[in-house]
Amino acid sequence: MSQVQVLKSLEGVLESFLEKVVTLKEERLQVLDGINNLDDIARSSEDGFDVTDKVGDWFADHNRWINEQVLRKGDVDRINGILGEIKNQISNTPDTSPASRKISSEINRWSDTELTKQGSEKPVQPQEKIVLKRGPEDITKLSEPTLIDFSKTLMHCDMMLKGLSDKKLHVLSVLDDSLDRAKLQKDKQALILSAFIIYYLKQNAYKVEPYVKRLKEAERLFEEVK
Amino acid sequence: MLNTSEKAYCLALLALKRKEYRLAVEQFDKAAPHFKNDKEFNLYRESTRLLLAVKQEVEMIEDEDQLEIEETFQNG
Repeated sequence: MSQVQVLKSLEGVLESFLEKVVTLKEERLQVLDGINNLDDIARSSEDGFDVTDKVGDWFADHNRWINEQVLRKGDVDRINGILGEIKNQISNTPDTSPASRKISSEINRWSDTELTKQGSEKPVQPQEKIVLKRGPEDITKLSEPTLIDFSKTLMHCDMMLKGLSDKKLHVLSVLDDSLDRAKLQKDKQALILSAFIIYYLKQNAYKVEPYVKRLKEAERLFEEVK
Repeated sequence: MLNTSEKAYCLALLALKRKEYRLAVEQFDKAAPHFKNDKEFNLYRESTRLLLAVKQEVEMIEDEDQLEIEETFQNG
């Protein structure tokens, strides 16, 4: 193997590792990017720029966070702090326009949500060993998926598709990432999205056998975790 | 507000996503004072630095090959 070949092989390994890092952190990265954007807006506001439209756009893009369990308590505190600063800047402006009043009320609305009051920090795993005592066995009935559940799943798949398809040219690349996510993160939505894409490709005469194999492997791992 | 290091770490990861490795390294360097004891941060930073170094090395070797080829044509 020549020197260039060795280097190119190392280059490939490192690129692939960093791509996987980004894929694994995709959701977190979106949150950080959102907070960072809000921070930029707050800084512009401090510099005396009118940020009403930008804050409006930010809310339009990130209001969904209220209903999704994506924010940690630290994130919520950060966002509240930054929004508080923006609100102060707006209220210090002598001429308050209807738009800025609307933004202020939008900030209040955000601050009054349950998410903001409680935070959505996932419980921390205790270090000490604990013993759980369980009562008599019950036959657990699986709840039947409703139409609303299915509709929500479709919506989440659509959002995930948009997230994964950033700058990708082909649906196969998205499928590749989605299968990785399903396997590595044991992510049910990614599993469902992968199955959708595979069926779509099959209908369009693509060879899907390798992907079906990976889907089954991801499904097996998911079942093990369950 | 976010401090400079936190902003830089976030921008570094976003640069990685766009495969802008040089920019990612610059942002990792800016973030380093705050995160130098964070193992995960150091792993990403060093991997990106190594990748950039490897890319530069490959580029250099390929440029050298290019020069040799040109010379062969001139003399041949």
